[in-house]
Amino acid sequence: MQGQRKWNALLLAAAVIILLVLPLVVKSSFAIDIFIRILLFSFIGVAWNLMGGYAKQLSLGHAAYFGLGAYTSTILQIDFGISPWIGMIAGGVVAMLASLPIGWLCFRLRGPYFTIATIATAQALMLIFLKFRDLAWGAEGTTIPNLGNAPLMMQFEAKAAYYYVALGLLALGLAITYRIEKSWMGYYLVAIGEDEDAAEAIGVNAPRIKRDIYLISSFLTAMAGTFYTQYIYFIDPATAFSFNISIEAALVSIVGGIGTLWGPVVGTVLLETTSTLLQSWLGGSIGGVQLTVYSLILMAVILWRPTGLMGLATEAYQRYLRRRPARA
Amino acid sequence: MWETLAQAVINGLLIGGIYALVSIGVTLIFGVVKIVNFAQGEFVMIGMYISFFLANQFGIDPIVSLIVSTPVLFAIGVLIQHFLIRRVLGPNDMPQIFLTFALSLLLLNLALMLFTANYRTVHTSYSDEAFHIGGLYIPVAKLIAFGVAMALSGALWVFLHTTDLGKAMRAASQNRDVATLMGINPNRVFCVALGVALALAGAAGSLLMPFYSAYPFVGQVFVLMAFVAVVLGTLGNVIGALIASLMMGVAESLGIQFVGADSGQIVVFAMLLLTLAFKPNGLGGGRAR
Repeated sequence: MQGQRKWNALLLAAAVIILLVLPLVVKSSFAIDIFIRILLFSFIGVAWNLMGGYAKQLSLGHAAYFGLGAYTSTILQIDFGISPWIGMIAGGVVAMLASLPIGWLCFRLRGPYFTIATIATAQALMLIFLKFRDLAWGAEGTTIPNLGNAPLMMQFEAKAAYYYVALGLLALGLAITYRIEKSWMGYYLVAIGEDEDAAEAIGVNAPRIKRDIYLISSFLTAMAGTFYTQYIYFIDPATAFSFNISIEAALVSIVGGIGTLWGPVVGTVLLETTSTLLQSWLGGSIGGVQLTVYSLILMAVILWRPTGLMGLATEAYQRYLRRRPARA
Repeated sequence: MWETLAQAVINGLLIGGIYALVSIGVTLIFGVVKIVNFAQGEFVMIGMYISFFLANQFGIDPIVSLIVSTPVLFAIGVLIQHFLIRRVLGPNDMPQIFLTFALSLLLLNLALMLFTANYRTVHTSYSDEAFHIGGLYIPVAKLIAFGVAMALSGALWVFLHTTDLGKAMRAASQNRDVATLMGINPNRVFCVALGVALALAGAAGSLLMPFYSAYPFVGQVFVLMAFVAVVLGTLGNVIGALIASLMMGVAESLGIQFVGADSGQIVVFAMLLLTLAFKPNGLGGGRAR
């Protein structure tokens, strides 16, 4: 046990150092762009995983919060000149407020019908932003005014700066997940995920726990939305509320290992790397290739490894640790 | 005013017949196998492409190509149940939801790769024909589609209520364990349920082809409608799904008529959210029949 903890700490320290120096070594803006995507989608996956992974509330509507975060900070920035750093928090709060009625609706249903309800709420929000043009630019969307290098407005000349922001977000998401995993709330979540009725029978206040974790999950997802809009300098309902965001959030967690701390990160690294390789081989000319491959990976994981890659890795790692002292 | 209203109701009922074929499939699978098939819309899409290619290559009328699309999709359904869904049946929701969801993503994106995102249409001799009764306008293609859809729904009802296999399916949907004890082979029943449900989706695709375009995302339009209808009509209830689908068609059509041409989807979402808020167990509140 002692040895395992030491090894875990060493691994983590090594990973942190590599991640911190990575943009100093790799100068290619193409590569940095991929790293940022990996960090961002890992973060979204981590946010999804809190609710979808631990409590098994399988949402396919997290784009709702991504979009709300993106729109809140953009509206605050363009109409009121407020920094996206503040907008990011405001977006998170808006997302939390939205998650209350949405959760009230969706949590009435369980299993697949919960999933359908979350899809519908995200799509409904996208329609609202499409139809009500006075609210936020309608279908055309808008570009974010480019202020050059303005760190206070979350705009940077160097791509590496965005990398560190995304890394910070991911670290925040993982820290929150770690804290929750080790707390009473983590155990309640897992209990709800295993069997909600049984959890309630032993005194877990399932509706309250689900509501609370939905608040946290939506707040974090909204932060990702703000960051993404600042990074691509553009917002429209189709990007901000894209169903693909909801899909990818769930996909990276399931492929990596649902309900595990590092699962979403592992899943994102695998899926984004695959997608990059595919694009460089095929030139990205054929539509649908990326999601075809994603769905095949997802099916393979579900059929053969429902615990995801983390399940595989943990087994291998523990087998290694168990063997090691025998040799020493 | 009354004429506009009547016209909107007729348009809604006609398209509601197609929604019914899709919803009945979803509710049948849910009732018997206890899973939600997220890919149901993609099988409508496959049915449409089958009819499109038969019409394009061999000049076969889309309605006639029903005799190809339904057995093909029946076979696909049996294979999917036997090789995929059977492996994830169990107390755990996650694999079930994401297996059919992955299947939906896969089929949709394969269609995008193979057929591109272009809209494909088939023009038949009756595509532009219509009956004029009083001031009302009834397109022939939609009327045929509605008639065949209702006939197929009726045939399914007869099948479920008079044949041994149909009774076995109803028994399995009411209580799987007891049905198994009575000597019903669950996997065989599940295979038939999947096959019949997908055949209905394929039929819906063929029936749509004379007046609707085929494109990779077309299934999404129908599957969402079907999910709403299935919740409204009480999960697993075939007649409930049929009635709810017709109601959905009418509601959508009234929305288009009186709110605006692009508001059909908003009406559907509004109905879904209202259903979830006030009638999460469906209007009937009954059990699988």
